[in-house]
Amino acid sequence: MSSRKATSRLTIISWIVRKDLKEYGRDRLWAFLTALVLVAVVALFWVLPDDVDESITIGFSGLGEPAAARLLGDAGDAGLRFVQAADAEQLRAVVAGDLVAWSGPDGFSLLEPDADGPEGASKQPVAIGLAFPPDFESATAAGETTRVDVLVGGDVPPELRSTVEGIVKEMAYGIAGIPLPIDTSNPDEIFVVLGEDRVGDQVTARESFRPMFVFLVLMMEMFVMSSLIAKEIQDRTVTALLVTPARTGDILAAKGISGALSGLVQAVILLLAIDSFGRRPLLVLTLMALGAVMVSGTAMIAGSAGKDFIGTMFYGMVFMIPLLIPAFAALFPGSASVWIRALPSYPLIEGLVGAITYGDGWVESGPRVLTLAAWCVALFGIGWVVLKRRVESI
Amino acid sequence: MTTAAIEVDDIRFSYGNIEAVKGLSFQVAPGEILGFLGPNGAGKSTTIKILTGQLTPSSGGARVLGIDVTADDPEMQAQIGVCFEEKNLYESMSGAENLRFFAGLYGLRDIDTDSLLRRVGLADRAKDRVKSYSKGMRQRLMMARALVNAPKVLFLDEPTDGLDPVSSQAIRKMIKEEAERGAAVLLTTHDMMEADELSDRVAFLNDGRLYALDTPESLKLAHGKRAVRVRTRSDSGVREESLALDDPMSGERLKEVLSSDGLLTVHTEEATLEAIFIEMTGRGLEG
Repeated sequence: MSSRKATSRLTIISWIVRKDLKEYGRDRLWAFLTALVLVAVVALFWVLPDDVDESITIGFSGLGEPAAARLLGDAGDAGLRFVQAADAEQLRAVVAGDLVAWSGPDGFSLLEPDADGPEGASKQPVAIGLAFPPDFESATAAGETTRVDVLVGGDVPPELRSTVEGIVKEMAYGIAGIPLPIDTSNPDEIFVVLGEDRVGDQVTARESFRPMFVFLVLMMEMFVMSSLIAKEIQDRTVTALLVTPARTGDILAAKGISGALSGLVQAVILLLAIDSFGRRPLLVLTLMALGAVMVSGTAMIAGSAGKDFIGTMFYGMVFMIPLLIPAFAALFPGSASVWIRALPSYPLIEGLVGAITYGDGWVESGPRVLTLAAWCVALFGIGWVVLKRRVESI
Repeated sequence: MTTAAIEVDDIRFSYGNIEAVKGLSFQVAPGEILGFLGPNGAGKSTTIKILTGQLTPSSGGARVLGIDVTADDPEMQAQIGVCFEEKNLYESMSGAENLRFFAGLYGLRDIDTDSLLRRVGLADRAKDRVKSYSKGMRQRLMMARALVNAPKVLFLDEPTDGLDPVSSQAIRKMIKEEAERGAAVLLTTHDMMEADELSDRVAFLNDGRLYALDTPESLKLAHGKRAVRVRTRSDSGVREESLALDDPMSGERLKEVLSSDGLLTVHTEEATLEAIFIEMTGRGLEG
């Protein structure tokens, strides 16, 4: 015999949540894709380089002993390293890649591409070469105009070319004995750094991709939940629920909880696997929980709008592509455009980057958390209304 | 007098400009089976949706177990069972899991799923996922699901539609058992034989209107011919004739036939429900 107990809303919601999670776990396609994405992003994360070469190696030729020695002695200063070629011809070969520069304990060696480098040496790409004319030092010292050929590889960006131009001019002034009209003897007094100085602490490729990977996992959750919601509507099982004591609000709450819970669990697994909780675990967890709620809201909208699997995927993509843009923007240095900052996922990505990469605390992240929470309320609210209308229209 | 389990008073409902239900009024008593007969589009399923709280009537009122169906009161849903026309089961879950889940929504713990599944002949498939079930098995599981809370009112929408005779018979047996238990049953069907066999009363529904509401017997008496058809064998071969019971001449002939050695068969010529439906509505039940 069974015993009847008064059914509370919480009991009904918990039954539906358990049912949703059971269905999710038993959907072979989504279970496989979820596991695949998790494993793939974790593997990719650990494969990505975790360091940044912050120096530029510049080749030169044609300078006499004192000037060349001074340049070579400046190795590592201000992120510049110099390697000397025997002549302009050899320099051209180095920049073109026909010769390879190896940096080792005994200095630089220029070798054929297929030759093994010296013990303990590493390859140094030389993208820029300065071909000084033989009379460079005497001409500049005499105040005569001379010419320096700057050899650049095709992939050298314009800003670096301009920088090299400045270096050449400065060298000419120095060799000619003409003092610069500004005092550059103490770089610390020239640069006034606003905010935390990131020099020497550049973001690695691994760090850059971290928010993207986290968002990919949330995106998977969005697709899974929207698919389950669409299936519930198409199979009319939701009608069977509505003739029981379960109300529409219970079903919607359960969908939101199922989506947020599954997304959060996956995100936590990922963040643990890619070692992202170290500095601010509670803040990161809060951000991920809000992110999971936000994508649950979009899953409700996509699941309501899609008439079949393809339709659900289509509407899912319509939401996810714009939401992914801030994660792409995080791959590139510099400030994001205003319209990117206006996207709902921006505070999530910015918050994750700040908390995980730079160790921002609650004070720095407060505005991001609040903005993200506001977006969560908005998207979840819209999802709730859309799904409610869809359920009631069956 | 017994209080009606279902009370419907002049309800109307429209899908846009199309009026699907046009002023229906009827009652169903506890333990009574009311057969709702009508072709597709007659308004049967819409009426069930209104009575189960899925749709709100545009006018009129309805109460189930004394509760206004528009009140969105979970107390009403807690005491009803619905067997839908479409097989809306969770296919990735087993039969037992489906029943346990729905029992949970009713606040029922430790539900005896084995007993319910045994009743519908699915005990040996209890742990199999519904996706592996045949159509008949799914329908039987739907019936078991409708009974999971031992409902006081059962709404059954075409419960035997398209089923094999064995599955149909099993479901009919359950419907009778539920009515004997005291449940009021509202049964929609196309099948006149089924309606005749199960229903205490039948309602003829067409184009959203109620054309008749009475016991099958009364309808047949009211609309059938008072006659018997007899077949007799004689030297000249087999003869078939219709004898009106109200005609004194026919009475003499009937006595003669019944006492003759050549009598083969005697059938009453009462009308079938289908014939009465066609006579009253001008259309058949199919389509």
